[in-house]
Amino acid sequence: MKLGLYFKDNFYKVLIFIISYIINLLVFLAFKVNKSVIISSSFIYIICFSLIFFISYFRKKKFYTDLLLNIESLDKAYLVLETLTKPEFYEGELVFKALYEINKSMSENVNRIESSLLDFKEYIEMWVHEIKIPLATLILFSNNHKDKFDKKTKLQLKRLEDYVDQVLYYTRCENAPKDYLIKTTNLAKIIKNVGLKNMDYLLENKIDYIVENVNISVLTDSKWLEFILGQIVNNSIKYKRNIKNSYIKIKAIEETCQIILIIEDNGIGIKQSDLKQVFDKSFTGENGRNGSKSTGMGLYIAKNMCNKLGHKIDIKSEENKYTKVFITFAKDKYYEVLK
Amino acid sequence: MEKILIIEDDKNICKELKELLINNSYEAIILEDFKNALNKILEISPDLILLDINIPFINGEVLLQNIRKKLDVPVIMVTSINSEIDEALSISYGADDYITKPYNPNILLLRIRAVLKRVKNYNININEVTYKELKFDITKGMIKKDNLEIPLTKNEIIIFSYLLNNQNRIVSRDELMTSLWDNAEYVNENALTVNISRLRNKLKEIGYPEVIKTRKGMGYILS
Repeated sequence: MKLGLYFKDNFYKVLIFIISYIINLLVFLAFKVNKSVIISSSFIYIICFSLIFFISYFRKKKFYTDLLLNIESLDKAYLVLETLTKPEFYEGELVFKALYEINKSMSENVNRIESSLLDFKEYIEMWVHEIKIPLATLILFSNNHKDKFDKKTKLQLKRLEDYVDQVLYYTRCENAPKDYLIKTTNLAKIIKNVGLKNMDYLLENKIDYIVENVNISVLTDSKWLEFILGQIVNNSIKYKRNIKNSYIKIKAIEETCQIILIIEDNGIGIKQSDLKQVFDKSFTGENGRNGSKSTGMGLYIAKNMCNKLGHKIDIKSEENKYTKVFITFAKDKYYEVLK
Repeated sequence: MEKILIIEDDKNICKELKELLINNSYEAIILEDFKNALNKILEISPDLILLDINIPFINGEVLLQNIRKKLDVPVIMVTSINSEIDEALSISYGADDYITKPYNPNILLLRIRAVLKRVKNYNININEVTYKELKFDITKGMIKKDNLEIPLTKNEIIIFSYLLNNQNRIVSRDELMTSLWDNAEYVNENALTVNISRLRNKLKEIGYPEVIKTRKGMGYILS
């Protein structure tokens, strides 16, 4: 609260004071009052007015200054009421009460939306679990009756499963505060699971799955990482080049304070101008538009999940040469000591 | 023949799973009465249990804890809940493995075999398998007959063990492939063909020509 602006705002009070003082002075002069009486009463008059002006200013100043300052300094401005003491002047009380009511109604609103979001998330989770049952039955059924179903059925069933998983992980990482469990996990095991899951797809597309030096443990949620790697491997298969020796090469490099997992392919690559946006939501880029249909969600979800797990994900590519995805895991010294 | 108990409330899955297990020469029993699950399990006394988490009347994890109090039977959790937290919980309650639906049937069979083998090996140490007059030392990767010893490569060991485990049954290329990839040997179609012909040559060298027969469009059979 600035004194100058406060003064300007309350200028009418000063004006009334000056006018009333002049009238008073004229009355004194008309009645020929003694000079010393005029001076002393003027003095009292001015002091009293100044007192009224400044006391009311300082009473308000603390409350309003705190209010503005705290709103600026808090990263969650809506918590400002918690930082203020209740003001002791009427106008302030009204503001305080109004803020309190607004806050309350807004939190009720937010709560309602949060709980409906949570309900929705729970419903999606349940739905995903439910749909996996007929899916599992179909996969078993096609396996038991190989005479009626061929590889094509299997590949389509896998696509179905992949899309269902994408919904699950999207809901989990967008809406769940904590739906993961960080444990020491061996990369080799996760990479093996990803390979097994995509085996038919890789063989069908004649892509070699080359795994080197991955017998390293990292701190992660294995299910989440498996999904992330699945998205990357799927992209590599989707955007392969029509050459003879297509491959996906996975290797890990251990450094002093981090472990880097590199997934490299020799596919069609990504245009330089598209590279920055591949992790953006719904970004499809040139590859997505030209080749097979793309939702632009896979890498977005992968990035989001990496952020939550505390891994770094980067991508490098050259058109018609290669795409390399780097996932960096931090080594936790503190955790090592605890073990 | 090992007895496998299926605890799962979806009738269709039960039916298909039973068929899969029977086709792979296991005895499969479906648990019908979930109310007295524990008593039924004790009565059946299976060699392995496939247990779902979402079953009527009792939670699978709770049932697992109860089983553990009474029985030492291996349990594989089979569930559609794909979460690290549930997996960690199940393992801490004493599950031997955790598989999420929908699963690759070949992988499920591999896991079942691995768990059963682990339990069996614990009791008797089997490192050597015999096939006719041939001795197969799995740990050393050697096939021996009389004074002849021929080393096998890792891939050949995996293929030969798989064929041995499924003797007299047609084994599809898909199954062999899964078994190889499950052992982190990510070979392609050509490599599998080459590995099989090398294995055939080695078997021929030791005196068993043409024991691995090709069934066109179906796979291989070790007679």
